[in-house]
Amino acid sequence: MSSRVLTIVLAVAVVFSGVLLASRSAMFRLPGNHQGYEPVQPIAYSHRLHAGELQIQCQYCHFSADKSRHAGIPPASVCMNCHKFVAAPLGAIRAEDDLAQKEKRAPRPVVSTELRKLYEAVNSGTPIAWTRIHSLPDFAYFDHRPHVNAGVACQQCHGPVESMERVRQVSDLTMGWCVNCHRDANRTGVAGRRVNASTNCSTCHY
Amino acid sequence: MEKRYWRSLEELARPASQEAEFSDTSASRRDFLKIAGFAFAGGTLAGCSRAPVEKALPYLSQPEGLIAGRSQYYASTCGGCAAGCGLLVKVRDGRPIKLEGNPDQAIGRGAACAAGQASILGLYDSLRLKDPLASGKPSTWPEVDAAIRSRLRPDTPVRYLSGTITSPTKQSAIDTFLAQFHNARHVMYDSLSASAILDAHQETHGARVLPHYRFAEADVIASFDADFLGTWISPVEFAHDYASRRLPPNISWHVQYEGRMSLTGSKADRRVRTAPAEIRNRLADLVEQISSGRGDDLAERLLRARGRSLVVCGTNDLDIQILVNHVNHLLENYGKTLDIERPSRQRRGSDRELAKLLEEFRSGQVGALFIDGVNPIAELPEPPELRRAGLVVSFAGSLDETAEQAHYVCPDHHYLESWSDAEPIEGLISLTQPVIRPVGDTRAVIESLGVWSGRPVRVYDLLREKYAAVWERSVQGGFIETNRSLPVATQYRAPSLTGRGQGAVSGYTLVLHPSVAMLDGRHAYNPWLHELPDPITKVTWDNCAALSPATAASLSVSDGDIVRIESVELPVVVQPGQHDSVIAVALGYGRKASERFANIGPRWIDRQPTVNAKGRIGENVARFLALENGAVRYERAGVRLSKTGRRIDLAITQTHHTLEGRAIVQEIALADAGKPPEPREPHEELWPPDHPMPGHRWAMAIDLNACTGCSACVVACQVENNTPVVGKDEVRRRREMHWMRIDRYYSGPPDNVEVAWQPMMCQQCEHAPCETVCPVLATVHSDEGLNQQIYNRCVGTRYCENNCPYKTRRFNWFDYPREDRMANLVLNPDVTVRTRGVMEKCTFCVQRIQEAKIESKHTGAPLQDGDIRTACQQSCPAGAIVFGDLNDPKSRVAQLARDRREYRVLEELNVRPSVHYLKIVRQEDRQNG
Amino acid sequence: MAEVCSPLRIPLIAGHKKPGAVTEDVCRPMLRPPSGLWWAGFSVSFSFLLLGVAAISYQIATGVGTWGLNTTVGWAFDITNFVFWVGIGHAGTLISAILFLFRQKWRTSVNRSAEAMTLFAVMCAGIFPVIHTGRPWLAYWLFPYPNTRGSLWINFRSPLAWDCFAISTYFLISATFWYVGLIPDLATIRDRVAPGLRRRLFSIFSLGWNGSYRVWRHYEVLYLLLAGLATPLVVSVHTIVSWDFATAVIPGWHATIFPPYFVAGAIFSGIGMVLTLMIVARKAMGLEDYITLRHVDVMCKLLLLTSSIVALAYGTEFFTAFYGGNAYEQFVFRNRALGPFAWAYWTMVSCNVLAPQFLWFRAMRRRLGIVFVLSLLINVGMWFERFVIIVTSLHRDFLPSSWAMYRPTIVEVSTLLGSFGLFFTCFLIFCRILPVIAMGEVKAVLHHGHGNGDHV
Repeated sequence: MSSRVLTIVLAVAVVFSGVLLASRSAMFRLPGNHQGYEPVQPIAYSHRLHAGELQIQCQYCHFSADKSRHAGIPPASVCMNCHKFVAAPLGAIRAEDDLAQKEKRAPRPVVSTELRKLYEAVNSGTPIAWTRIHSLPDFAYFDHRPHVNAGVACQQCHGPVESMERVRQVSDLTMGWCVNCHRDANRTGVAGRRVNASTNCSTCHY
Repeated sequence: MEKRYWRSLEELARPASQEAEFSDTSASRRDFLKIAGFAFAGGTLAGCSRAPVEKALPYLSQPEGLIAGRSQYYASTCGGCAAGCGLLVKVRDGRPIKLEGNPDQAIGRGAACAAGQASILGLYDSLRLKDPLASGKPSTWPEVDAAIRSRLRPDTPVRYLSGTITSPTKQSAIDTFLAQFHNARHVMYDSLSASAILDAHQETHGARVLPHYRFAEADVIASFDADFLGTWISPVEFAHDYASRRLPPNISWHVQYEGRMSLTGSKADRRVRTAPAEIRNRLADLVEQISSGRGDDLAERLLRARGRSLVVCGTNDLDIQILVNHVNHLLENYGKTLDIERPSRQRRGSDRELAKLLEEFRSGQVGALFIDGVNPIAELPEPPELRRAGLVVSFAGSLDETAEQAHYVCPDHHYLESWSDAEPIEGLISLTQPVIRPVGDTRAVIESLGVWSGRPVRVYDLLREKYAAVWERSVQGGFIETNRSLPVATQYRAPSLTGRGQGAVSGYTLVLHPSVAMLDGRHAYNPWLHELPDPITKVTWDNCAALSPATAASLSVSDGDIVRIESVELPVVVQPGQHDSVIAVALGYGRKASERFANIGPRWIDRQPTVNAKGRIGENVARFLALENGAVRYERAGVRLSKTGRRIDLAITQTHHTLEGRAIVQEIALADAGKPPEPREPHEELWPPDHPMPGHRWAMAIDLNACTGCSACVVACQVENNTPVVGKDEVRRRREMHWMRIDRYYSGPPDNVEVAWQPMMCQQCEHAPCETVCPVLATVHSDEGLNQQIYNRCVGTRYCENNCPYKTRRFNWFDYPREDRMANLVLNPDVTVRTRGVMEKCTFCVQRIQEAKIESKHTGAPLQDGDIRTACQQSCPAGAIVFGDLNDPKSRVAQLARDRREYRVLEELNVRPSVHYLKIVRQEDRQNG
Repeated sequence: MAEVCSPLRIPLIAGHKKPGAVTEDVCRPMLRPPSGLWWAGFSVSFSFLLLGVAAISYQIATGVGTWGLNTTVGWAFDITNFVFWVGIGHAGTLISAILFLFRQKWRTSVNRSAEAMTLFAVMCAGIFPVIHTGRPWLAYWLFPYPNTRGSLWINFRSPLAWDCFAISTYFLISATFWYVGLIPDLATIRDRVAPGLRRRLFSIFSLGWNGSYRVWRHYEVLYLLLAGLATPLVVSVHTIVSWDFATAVIPGWHATIFPPYFVAGAIFSGIGMVLTLMIVARKAMGLEDYITLRHVDVMCKLLLLTSSIVALAYGTEFFTAFYGGNAYEQFVFRNRALGPFAWAYWTMVSCNVLAPQFLWFRAMRRRLGIVFVLSLLINVGMWFERFVIIVTSLHRDFLPSSWAMYRPTIVEVSTLLGSFGLFFTCFLIFCRILPVIAMGEVKAVLHHGHGNGDHV
């Protein structure tokens, strides 16, 4: 009797630990693999809002993606193109107007706390220190140009950024991940066109 | 220094920047812990340890046209010496990282010499002065200006001592500055003087000019101790012109009379060992024979080539130079191979003036002395006691021997920081434009002078108005040509050719010569140039007393034995082909600037210092110069030489000098050189070709006949590929890191040798022995024929290096210190900086290939032959190196690969190297006297 | 039964031992506290070991640059030591496996220690391929394992990769073989030592051996199988090591005779080392009755044989160089004999070819002093053989411009001494804690004086 209880208990324990182990190993990641890295940025900039709702093209801000190795983090001046005029969410402004109506006064300018940081940076002339998310080791030379120009969608590597409040590293950016994509591209082509995605070592390492 | 480009932090020296990035954690605690966890794990497993929290700082507003991660090229002019070669400065994220020749400009013609290319490191020299100095202490410009102006009275006897000023703007600035004093003089002298040539033309042509030599026009070249391929006046231009005439059908014939072995002598068709004292008589004979219309072989050749010949002489002696002028006059070379209508302005100094100034110094007649671009204390035989002048102002950029003694030091910009112009040849104006904001609080000399003469100016404004008409063109193209020429006295005043030299002298003659790397010592701060093997002796990090084999034997000394020459002790290096009576020693060593190398190189128990007992590199032998009857003598007769019995290990990169009868360097007789290639039987293959190269097939062709061994390519490669400097001790252990070396082989009897040059780098073998043996696939072949080296995969078994028949692979024996964060700014961000324990080597500048391919994909324009130029090819003055696609039959490299002179080194091993060499053409009658 | 000795056969084991006596003799040194001599030897070799540890740690911390290598000579002491130790490691398996298959009964009294020696030698050898790499912490990349780099595998064409497999296999097999051979003796000791930790350990490792007939039979079968398995390794391992050189293009390495040449050399040096150790051991541990002059004599003959093979190889190398007409090859061999490293070459020749000639004479073979000195010389000579092959071939290869010299640094020398330290430390410990002579097997040949040779 007791032995049966024991076996049951043991069985449960084994199953439980198995499950635990499985979940652990699923989460296991090799060192240097920052998949899922999602740091808090100095300004809570929302890609969901800009790229998603407002549908601003990626390359409007990351304008050197097709010209240079680096897609580039936009200079503050690019932000100012719009935020010279837009200082706060529409809702906040409306609310202020209504309030002003009630209080019979001129509406005060409303500035969202996040945008204030931008304005301060511009006025004080200190660049905004964003935290880098996607960063490859120095011995791997990734170049945005050929990928963007071949028509690879940004999302293919960076994931659904337009749906992210705060940007997260979606792919693991390991060598295997790069190489497999290159192989597939050579077989299936990119955006319907045949491509030559080289798998020579010196394509990325020199 | 621009630090605000994003990624630029990351491109700074990795080790130093890491703590900074770590401590900076604006990420939330949770993130930080997570990342710190990664980092810790990463740290334990090697390879992937990187500071995780990395800041990326974008501009606030990005300058027009600047794109992060893209290089821009700005036309400028080299300030490495007075030759004034045109440059294209490669600027990446606001940092100049590479100097390349400007192909359109007439002096450099797209090439740049070793010293010129290395001069970019001077920009990032952390020991450069950041502020003006008042009596040795950092000060501010207003203070210094006030002090200097207060000490300048209109009646102060002011002397402005400078090297050759090729900049018209600067010249006029100096003149206007000096104009405000009653007794003021501008004294120009060249530490490598050509004063006698100028004076001679004063005598014979009534104009003190330095002719513009046109080696490209000369069928017969007779050079008397003029090292025009190495260091004489304008070597890059001369080398280019010379090389353009070294192949049939219109091949030139070149005889060299010299006492030491020079680069020029190494290329001569006939090389005659001549003691310096015999040169004068040889020339006198030549004059007689030519005027009599018949003479020995040389005279006959010269006569036959009337107007198409050129006689040059490097000896700084008025009488001798007058003889030379007379010979050239008799041969009707003026206006053809020598141009004095549009003369060279690359040497303008006058030793007479210098002598006069020194005299004034002794008698204390100098009130104020301004020293610009020269270092008299280190360069002159008996330097003036500067303190005897009431006011001494130096414009030196760093604290050299002279600046140390100056009352005030008003540091000039580095030439890459400043606006300027240069007129190396009359009518050819080459502009210098700043490519980076001044690193320190320095000020252009012209502006300093402006302030002191009460009319503050900006050089930019001066140039702007001076060249207003052609501004865009001149700044964009880097130079402009006007057809201005000097009115030269047409009538030729025949000199009185009396008197001859006393001929051979007893005892040894000390010959002081500039070395390709150090020149007169202005580059003594530059580790690249100290580690650059001297092309002839292959010695690094030292200047030696070169003796002929016979002399060395008679003294029973060999390489490394220390001998005493009068008061100076130098290690011996045995130099085949040198005259027995000559001791050749390089100038420009033993400089204060070289004290910085006390700690260079890896640090470990058995490590020897790079500097000598005096804490410097080599010995300064300027004291042996003599300033007599109006010219600086570079030869001193009758010096005594004695053994000390001590010896050191020289840091030599090549210790075996003969070919052992192996067909590694091949020659071809002139008669056969022109003929069509003879058919070769195809090589039998055991296996079918197993790695096809459908697209490109990169290959290189190197013309051994053109190569002068000038070593520009070696430095170019080092700059382009972030090759570390390892220091004297490591070189002594035969661990220099240059990816490209120039092998130098002697043949023939030791007293008069033939010299062969062979640039040697990874041969990118199709059947590469290194590839089969690497256990981890760190070196594999690309489908474009490149032998790829993947540094991050290498574990460092060194098997590949052992199995390389060419020994062109380089191993990182240590973590070579890169602590100078300033100097690290010159690193090429397109090439990985290799860590310890990793094999590295030439990959045909694969980063350039990649860049070009990506761009052509982008623009859709297929790659043209010549779109990709490797660093070495780019820098070669003689155009000896050609890189291209062998699959394109019209490409130059493909044509050269079919040339009759084509051969490949160690072809018999069937490793199938992708580097094709072209045989040296020997003229039939070659003979050494 | 009665002790009847045939006049025809000299007994393998002298002193008319009874089985009990054998056990006594063999176990005695293990049960009594170590002698002063042992302590002396141990402290010396252990201090060498520490020196080596220090040298290696410094080298790993600072870089391979702390060795005297350079661009031209990329290998020297490191690989020399590696090949040397692998060579030493050959005698053990040869004696225990091959001689077992050949039914050489005399092997029984030396095979145990010879196998132990093999293991320790292979351990020493194993160090060098790891530390000679520029980044030892990544040495595991030499083994194929699933990774996140796409399909980045190892280079199966590289002899260095083969080495990894060869050496590790060899180590595993000889370790197993040795351990299996130990089991009966472990049981014997288990039954003799007083209760306590030691007995528990011995009883664990003797796997519940009860000396029954079935156990013995299984044991014999397994031992035979393992012997069969180990035999090809004796040949294969050093063959593969020799390919490190034979497959290269470097003149002096690129030779087809390397495999047999290396195997012979390995056995030569191995036997040499066995002799060195045995002659000391028999004196120090009073095993004169077990390791008799006859054993020494037989092994000397083996030495003579292998020495001659090696000599032949030296000659052949020169002949092929001369006859092949390859200028580079010819130069390398001229350079070996007359070049700057001639001293090393002639040391090698005199130690490996000239010295063993004494062994033609029976008198010499039976004079222990002389044999001991010769065995030492042979070890020296074989070390230099590898040094000569590696360094003189590399330092002057194809392009004269890159010819260079090689000078070892203090770090390299200390590493070499350290490897000897490790070897002897292990061996001395082994002498203390395990039976140096296979009691079980010796007992089997005790009465091997019987006319018909059978012993029941």
